[in-house]
Amino acid sequence: MSLDFIIYLIINTAFILLIAPLFAGLIRKVKAWTQGRQGPPVLQQYYNLAKLFRKEIIYSPHASWIMRATPLVNMAAIMVAALFVPLVFVPEPVGGIGNIILFLYLLALARFFMALAGLDAGSSFGGMGSSREMSIAAIIEPTTIIVFAALAIVFKSFNIFVMFASSAATGALTTPTIILIGISLFIILIVETSRIPVDNPETHLELTMIHEGMILEQTGRNLALMELSAAVKLTLLMALMINLIIPAGLAVTLTAAGIFIAAILFILKGSLLAVIIGLFESSMAKKRFFQLPSLFAMAFFFSTLIIIIEVFA
Amino acid sequence: MIILIFAILSALTLAGILLSRNHRQMNTVCIAQSVTFALMACWILLAGQLPVYRISIGSPYFFIDHLGLYEVLISTLIFTCAALYARGYVAGLLDSGELEKGSLRLFYIAWAVLLAVLVLAFFSDNLALFWIFAELTTIISAILVAILSARDNIDAAIKYIFIASTSMLFSFVGFIFLFETSRVVTGTGTLNWTELLLAAHAFPPIMATAAFVLVFIGFAAKSGIFPFHTWLPEAHAKAPSAVSAILSGVLLNVGIYGIIRTYAIVNQAGAGSTASFLLALFGVLTIGIAAFSMIPQKNLKKLIAFSSVENMGIILVGLAVATPVAIFWVLFHIMAHSLTKASLFFSAGILHRQYKSPLSSEAVDDIRDVFVYQPLAAWGIIIGGLAIIGMPPFPIFVSKVFIMLQLGTASPLVLGTVLVLLFIAAVAFGYFIITMFRKRSRPGRDTDLVPYRTPVSMKVPIIVLLFILLVAGIVFTTGEVSFIQSIITELKFT
Amino acid sequence: MIESAFVAGLVRVLFVCIIITAVYIISARNLLSIVSVYAVQSLTLVVIALLLYLLEGAPVLIAIAAITFASKVLIIPYFIATIQEKIRIKRDIQFHFLSPTSSLFVSMGLMLLVYIVLERVMAATGDRDNLFFFGAVLGISLMLMGMMVTFSRKRALTKILGFLSMENGVLLFGLFVTELPFIIEFLIVIDLIILVLLTTILTVGLDSTLEDYHKRLHRFHLWEDEVEVR
Repeated sequence: MSLDFIIYLIINTAFILLIAPLFAGLIRKVKAWTQGRQGPPVLQQYYNLAKLFRKEIIYSPHASWIMRATPLVNMAAIMVAALFVPLVFVPEPVGGIGNIILFLYLLALARFFMALAGLDAGSSFGGMGSSREMSIAAIIEPTTIIVFAALAIVFKSFNIFVMFASSAATGALTTPTIILIGISLFIILIVETSRIPVDNPETHLELTMIHEGMILEQTGRNLALMELSAAVKLTLLMALMINLIIPAGLAVTLTAAGIFIAAILFILKGSLLAVIIGLFESSMAKKRFFQLPSLFAMAFFFSTLIIIIEVFA
Repeated sequence: MIILIFAILSALTLAGILLSRNHRQMNTVCIAQSVTFALMACWILLAGQLPVYRISIGSPYFFIDHLGLYEVLISTLIFTCAALYARGYVAGLLDSGELEKGSLRLFYIAWAVLLAVLVLAFFSDNLALFWIFAELTTIISAILVAILSARDNIDAAIKYIFIASTSMLFSFVGFIFLFETSRVVTGTGTLNWTELLLAAHAFPPIMATAAFVLVFIGFAAKSGIFPFHTWLPEAHAKAPSAVSAILSGVLLNVGIYGIIRTYAIVNQAGAGSTASFLLALFGVLTIGIAAFSMIPQKNLKKLIAFSSVENMGIILVGLAVATPVAIFWVLFHIMAHSLTKASLFFSAGILHRQYKSPLSSEAVDDIRDVFVYQPLAAWGIIIGGLAIIGMPPFPIFVSKVFIMLQLGTASPLVLGTVLVLLFIAAVAFGYFIITMFRKRSRPGRDTDLVPYRTPVSMKVPIIVLLFILLVAGIVFTTGEVSFIQSIITELKFT
Repeated sequence: MIESAFVAGLVRVLFVCIIITAVYIISARNLLSIVSVYAVQSLTLVVIALLLYLLEGAPVLIAIAAITFASKVLIIPYFIATIQEKIRIKRDIQFHFLSPTSSLFVSMGLMLLVYIVLERVMAATGDRDNLFFFGAVLGISLMLMGMMVTFSRKRALTKILGFLSMENGVLLFGLFVTELPFIIEFLIVIDLIILVLLTTILTVGLDSTLEDYHKRLHRFHLWEDEVEVR
């Protein structure tokens, strides 16, 4: 393991932890604006987390060790996954790090434990949330696999580092089909981070909540970990999109100036994407559960199309 | 020049319709248009040295050959009869309020434009131009279907437009294929049928086949071939009877005409066998579907419409055989079917006026005491029915026999299937007529019917058509035979 | 002269745009947005025609672009939007035979089929540019996708849009396969306009005197659902 890579690990982890709540807050702010509200400050997420970290943890009497382990497992899985997606600087890949399939399974692990924790507390809302989450996961699974397969075929590699490096080398769109991949990734992002039209992250309406239902029983520091991991997951998927579609400025060599510029650019691009997500969410209504497959079908369609094009042409 | 005269005549007709103040005048103008067109066609037949390739105006786009003229002769004859029939029939519709006064002018304008467009379509040399005119005939005839103030009619018209137009787009893609093929083969692309036929022997068979398949999809929908036949019974059953006669007698021919033209090219390109297979397959399927749909029919016009579907199937099967004799009888069958079907729809129209059956296709006809009230229409249906199921001495008998003989030499198995299906269709038709016409009023339980005084203008076309049919089935003049034979030589079927 | 590789790249990007619009038309439920997406799709075709002019230099392409712009970007969408406003149908949520999801899957299969068939057929016409071959495939696919809209929607207005999108597919195919004479393209547009006029008017009834118009609308059940909602 080279020095570059160790520096990458440190920079990437620190950077993502630092900026993750920013994007979540920004989306919330945009949605408030479109609804004609003032909305909480953009940095509200940071305050929330800081407050939550100081609060005590209360467990339900029914809760087992799963409840205690989940926030940690969840955070750990997401943080490992975070290592797989370079935000500002792409080093040479080492070992299995950056493997897109492993990345998927890390996300799945986090989700699995979250669903278990939802059941574990014995609250009925948690159970409903978990069951819905798992149904959606089952439906979106083939789509996600196909989208990532399309990515792998377009870039002829399973490694996210290699994908980013080649897109950074081109500077612009590698092939026009990347636009289609972008749409598919956007749909996956919406689904994975539980946003409208799949789920509404802002409500605790008992009949519709999915993600919020699962973490309803979490308190204090554990809740903070869950929230933070959700924000990190959002940032990860956003980074995946950004660095594939508009990779301009992504650093491939380790210089302080390069990384600084890349970080600034990333925050700008990320904010732009966050605004788009916010607008998208505001323009949609939450869909009924049984209408969701039509959304996934679109992603599936585009990715299969990409595979067809790339295989045949 | 000739095309220009047709165009000027149509313009005059339109002006006449716009100027005339009542139904009688509009109708007279339309009759005059059809008669002049028919006379023009006869004049071309007798005077001109066919085929006319060089028309002084519109030279590369239009031409007149035997096939086109043949179709125009049939169309103008039917249009003349239908216009005469409409004189009494449309007046009846106006009286009963089924057709609103405000729509009358639109009806006759569409009528006149439809005839003009049809003539232009049959005289187009350029296939793309033909496509556009064929497409226009769909749209204009849909106006004629939708003109009655009923929701069912608009539904039928919209269904007709969508099925026919969407399929016709496939035809256009097929023509683009042909154009590209001719560009590769001859250097300059052309869609002129005459040039395509000359160059066709050099076309790659796979391109020709692909083009034919696409063209076939479109024109099959236009002429009601399975699986695109669904619009046909509804549109025919719901349209006013004068329009049904045109739809069945003339517009179905447009589709068949397009198929014949393209088939001739494909045949030259040496891909005839694939195309034949396709034609035979869909022909048999069409006959089958029509025959089995005829069995449970309770509505006279719908039954007649399904019989049209059946006859289109026979024509396709005949085309598939592709020997000169078969093509000869296919062409003859086209004529015979058009005339018979027009007379049948005319008779059905009289019954419709008498019994006020709703135009909805699900409605069951309430026909009783038919020989008391409408003897002419009843006999018209019986004789027309005998003619359409192929009884001697009517022309369809002759054409069916010879097509089947030719089919027998090509494939006995298909022949057997087709014969069984034709038998089923004939039985269904006969059964319907027998049960329907034997019904009597039950005194006290049925309301009394007011006898409908059928105007002479509605009776004359039926008698004329049946007379022509009888003559055509018995007498074959050498002129007629040599005319159809020259069509076959022009199509280069040997 | 602009570098032709760059132009070809732009055309490819526009291909992707056309796919996206086609998918949108298949799956959207809001009528007005389908109309505007159709206009965008036509505009994309106009731009493709202009880019092809840069590549090939055939003046007929400019004429095609102009007529497409006038008819399909301006007149037809405007007309349909006006009619749509009059009959007050906003959403089309009824489907038969195929839901949008299954339409998407079917169209995927169709695209693959078109590709395979065209590859075999076009082999006969000699070596072709990759770009042009893709254009042809996309044209036919767009046509088939439009056809599925026509057959799976219940509202006549959406059916019309499906048909129009089919026609766009034919135009695209024509652009990339061969150069048709301008008069043909012109007549097709005329035909298209008549068809759109007729079908839209049919959907609201034949007469446009006002009381009669409303009476007819009721009789034809065209706005029943909306009335019930209010």
